[in-house]
Amino acid sequence: MAAAAVMVSSAGSLLAMLQEPAPELKLHALASLNSLVHAFWHEISTSVSSIESLYEDEEFVQRQLAALVASKVFFYLGELNDALSYALGAGPLFDVSDDSDYAQTLLAKALDEYVAIQSRATGEEKTMDPRLEAIVERMLDKCILDGKYQQAMGMSVECRRLDKLEGAISRCDNLHGALSYCINLSHQYVSHREYRLEILRCLVKIYQTLPNPDYLSICQCLMFLGDPVSVASILDKLISGSNDDALLAYQTAFDLAENENQAFLLNVRNHLDALSSHTSARVDPDSGPAVPSNQTNAATEPSGDVQMRDDINMPNGSATTVDPNAATHADRMTKIKGILSGETSIQLTLQFLYSHNRSDLQILKTIKQAVEMRNSVCHSATICSNAIMHAGTTVDTFLRENLEWLGRATNWAKFSATAGLGVIHRGHLQQGRALMAPYLPQNGAGGSGSPYSEGGALYALGLIHANHGEGIKDFLRESLRNATSEVVQHGACLGLGLAALGTSDEEICEDIKNILYTDSAVASEAAGIGMGLLMVGTASEKATEMLAYAHDTQHEKIIRGLSLGIALTVYGREEEADTLIEQMTRDQDPILRYGGMYALALAYRGTANNKAIHQLLHFAVSDVSDDVRRTAVLALGFVLYNEPEQTPRIVSLLSESYNPHVRYGAALAVGISCAGTGLSEAISLLEPLTSDVVDFVRQGALIAMAMVMIQTNESYDSRVGAFRRQLEKIILDKHEDTMSKMGAILASGILDAGGRNVTIKLKSRSKHDRLTAVVGLAVFTQFWYWYPLTYFISLAFSPTALIGLNSDLKVPKFEFLSNAKPSLFDYPKPVTQQTATASVKVPAAILSTYAKSKSRAKKEAESKAKEKAEESSIASTSMQVDGAAAEKKAPEPEPTFQILTNPARVVPAQEKFIKFLEDSRYKPVKAAPSGFVLLQDLKPTEAEELTLTDAPSTAATTNAPASSASEPAAMAVDDEPQPPRLSSTLIRGYDDPRIGMYGLGCL
Amino acid sequence: MDPKMTEVTQMFARFKAAYARNDLDACVTLLSQLKVHLTKFPSLPPSFQQTPNAVEELKLARDIYEHAVVLSVKLEDQDAFERDFCQLKPYYMDTCGIIPPSAEEYPILGLNLLRLLVQNRIAEFHTELELLPVKALEHPCIKHAVELEQSFMEGAYNRVLSARQAVPHETYVYFMDLLAKTVRDEIAGCSEKGYDSLSVSDAKQMLMFSSDQDLHEYITEEHPEWEITNGAVFFQKAKESQPCKEIPSLQLINQTLSYARELERIV
Repeated sequence: MAAAAVMVSSAGSLLAMLQEPAPELKLHALASLNSLVHAFWHEISTSVSSIESLYEDEEFVQRQLAALVASKVFFYLGELNDALSYALGAGPLFDVSDDSDYAQTLLAKALDEYVAIQSRATGEEKTMDPRLEAIVERMLDKCILDGKYQQAMGMSVECRRLDKLEGAISRCDNLHGALSYCINLSHQYVSHREYRLEILRCLVKIYQTLPNPDYLSICQCLMFLGDPVSVASILDKLISGSNDDALLAYQTAFDLAENENQAFLLNVRNHLDALSSHTSARVDPDSGPAVPSNQTNAATEPSGDVQMRDDINMPNGSATTVDPNAATHADRMTKIKGILSGETSIQLTLQFLYSHNRSDLQILKTIKQAVEMRNSVCHSATICSNAIMHAGTTVDTFLRENLEWLGRATNWAKFSATAGLGVIHRGHLQQGRALMAPYLPQNGAGGSGSPYSEGGALYALGLIHANHGEGIKDFLRESLRNATSEVVQHGACLGLGLAALGTSDEEICEDIKNILYTDSAVASEAAGIGMGLLMVGTASEKATEMLAYAHDTQHEKIIRGLSLGIALTVYGREEEADTLIEQMTRDQDPILRYGGMYALALAYRGTANNKAIHQLLHFAVSDVSDDVRRTAVLALGFVLYNEPEQTPRIVSLLSESYNPHVRYGAALAVGISCAGTGLSEAISLLEPLTSDVVDFVRQGALIAMAMVMIQTNESYDSRVGAFRRQLEKIILDKHEDTMSKMGAILASGILDAGGRNVTIKLKSRSKHDRLTAVVGLAVFTQFWYWYPLTYFISLAFSPTALIGLNSDLKVPKFEFLSNAKPSLFDYPKPVTQQTATASVKVPAAILSTYAKSKSRAKKEAESKAKEKAEESSIASTSMQVDGAAAEKKAPEPEPTFQILTNPARVVPAQEKFIKFLEDSRYKPVKAAPSGFVLLQDLKPTEAEELTLTDAPSTAATTNAPASSASEPAAMAVDDEPQPPRLSSTLIRGYDDPRIGMYGLGCL
Repeated sequence: MDPKMTEVTQMFARFKAAYARNDLDACVTLLSQLKVHLTKFPSLPPSFQQTPNAVEELKLARDIYEHAVVLSVKLEDQDAFERDFCQLKPYYMDTCGIIPPSAEEYPILGLNLLRLLVQNRIAEFHTELELLPVKALEHPCIKHAVELEQSFMEGAYNRVLSARQAVPHETYVYFMDLLAKTVRDEIAGCSEKGYDSLSVSDAKQMLMFSSDQDLHEYITEEHPEWEITNGAVFFQKAKESQPCKEIPSLQLINQTLSYARELERIV
């Protein structure tokens, strides 16, 4: 009898039984219904009210069963709220381990509900249904029991149940994996700052109980929590350990330094001092007696800028007399402090940028020729573009070659031109002051130079020492006090703000405040910004003071400076800043509302916080002031930069607005959030805007496009080439508006920034926000009102390099693999100028020889490169290196991989293709595809081969005073192949194949 | 034999005895006990477990419920009838492969059809009809109900009323009596729609009342909105003309304006 197939065809009989007066029958009916509800919910739904009344009947024995049946019926009807409330009524009968759709859906619903209640602000009423809590807890326990730890962790993070989180992590078999998963979780999905900190605290607690903790991650967490003491003790412990531990300590320090939190790093260093003075009674000649307190310590630091810890590489003389253990400890301590101060990384970066500089002077020459002399806007834009192009490379060839042309900059243009030097020499900490010496205000002499170049020089010093101003800030303070001209004060305020970024140094603050209260438009504006820079992210009381003064003063410039400054103070404070933001955005004064937009942008930077986005969109469409609307849209870029893919979608409507200010804002928002990504959607959105009818929209779009496309080449996205040609066309077009021309000039600079070796990155590799970069971009966007602020963009540049270091913090010879076609991430080709060469036929004789020698040289270089590639390909595949292999000449045109040599340029898009070779002598401590990587030497006995030893500093010092003289400097030893003396026509010709052929024919 | 089975069988025997001597109260108590006992049998719907004595159990249960239905008719309890019939139905619909059909099946199904007709649940009547196999329509009990329904729909009320004399089963009498009232209600509804007023004598004839007194009682009970004045019954129809709904014009205008404003802001 195939009775298995026998099924009731209707639930009618059971429903009828439910109406029976006898409770036993009702019970029986309910139990049967419960098992049949999935098939007959539609029939039951008509009489669900009778089931509900059973549940409400206090007399009925199995009320919970009734609730369960009702809940199921409501689930099938799609009434999830009712279903949940009955499921709660069902109590233990509701089975969390059930796999059915019903159970899964309701569990999700219950979780949502629970999370919603849990995440209510503390002020609000929290009425947690204990039954709901019980269900969630049961679910969590079950996940942990089943070994679904990630699920459990995710849920407990979301439910704000740190106790459960701890339980889940501690039971997990892969503890490290679990912890790093949690850290990711807390950064990506927890939008509430306080709570995120709580999670991190909990994680650190767990980390510390481990026998073999992951110090890299702990220190990242601790930095986020702002706990310098623990970081210092961890580092101290590590450097007292073995060699490998020390490497780990260095790596940790590099990772910390990368996040650019100056105040925090300073504290760590101070605590390290305190610790080392405890452990060994050693006197560190470098930082004097250790003082535990942060405030006083900052003042006792040695004040000379050249004196700043350049003893990183030399062993400490006085410490060698003590026993060897203490000596190594001392040596390591100096190294770690060097790293923490950022100097080691800055120095290495500087060397990298200098040696790998591939900027194309031809572009600048074209711009210079195209720009009219009398047009000072374009003139200073060109200077600025040069500065950006060479940011951090210390290559100032272009300026030296065009001193006379440079001299046309007067007044504020001169200020900018001088400040530009600061961008070029950015990070040149040791020599910075010497380089700028000719322009700096002379003590006592007073009338040595123009106040514009003096102010510019002070600003330049700030840019050089941005966020690392330990050594320079006293000098800047002094200059500020002595300054009488408001232009000098302006420069000094900006410089001080930059140098002491985020340190909230009381004394500096007082000095700047004095300038602020002079109520002179120019100086006080800079003072406002300077104060903001000084107190970035401190949410200090000063903000209210500044706000009060902004209400008092009559000068719009000062109000603007102050409102930006106030916005800077709430950087990253998220909800904490809400009161201040509310105050500013409700203000009568549009300039303060404008500041409010920046405050929103900075407080919620990179959080993609829905509330902030909502508010900004509201202001973008409803404010009466164009400035506020523009800024509101622009601010979206800051809020969304952690999810660059979202931005084009969100602002796409706004980019078609009738209001040009909104369009401009939309362009920059995309530029900011998608900076350095080369994101296709972003480019598509910006493309039409680059040919907008309004000139300033074109300007914004060009700049934004350059920010998006930075470090992408034509073979990666063909539109890059088109954009480069468009820029050239705009610059060469006589009838183009000045505004868009300026945009195009700046865009050319940004596109090739930092010798084509930097990108704009707002997030560090460990997914933290780069404070300096965000602040830099925020102030940069202010160039709308004040061109000199354009230079702040240099703060956002981050070198795209993988620099491997050995335990001496030297750069050893080390090779690794990039698993992609070399052309995909190559430098763009040097510019050739077909249009010009077509008309100007250069004497063929010179050209042909040149072209020939050139091509010969090229061929040689190519064959060498090929040999090299082959050799290494064999090395990587068959694990044997023998010279004979090089004789094989494979005709393949484009290899699919590339061997890179330490230190190498690794653009962000390339990072996923980076592989470390297995059989290499060095083993990376942390397998990071870019940034600073400490390498463990597996053959420590063998001699090491070092690269990157040519520091630009020596060359620069000798030539620094010469910068005022007109001789071409010896500094121009970059690896650009053409000699600097060549006339531009020749350079134009050498790469053009047609001319080459012609020349050869003549021979 | 299974002790449970024996107990239920014995109890059922007692029930039948009580039924035979027309002791209805005893029947009701016994029945409810029987039903409770039946829930202990795993082979009964909806679980249909295959136990060795499933066939006996099913047969017994069906028998009990059939008796329950008949008892409810006797008690003139329509709710109980519906309940019991619903519980009986799975034995007819879902057990065809397991136990042989019951002799009582068609009379009871016809009875149910009749009940639906009486309660004027025509839609359900047809649903039930559709569920029956074609050959079932030939059975006199079913045929009777179907013919009644057809007459009822045609408005041939006299044929409906005369059918009482030709019932196929003695239990049908109760429902046939009720049917007369249903017919009367139907006529009353029609007259209300069809006429403004009707003389008392016409109304009496139409609604098949023998005396004015009955008519008056009927009207006060069932249709208090009717009026009897000057020897005529007035059906009130004023209530049906309800004022048509007003268009919320002001609100609509405001909404449209605000949309326009928002639109202007965004684009």
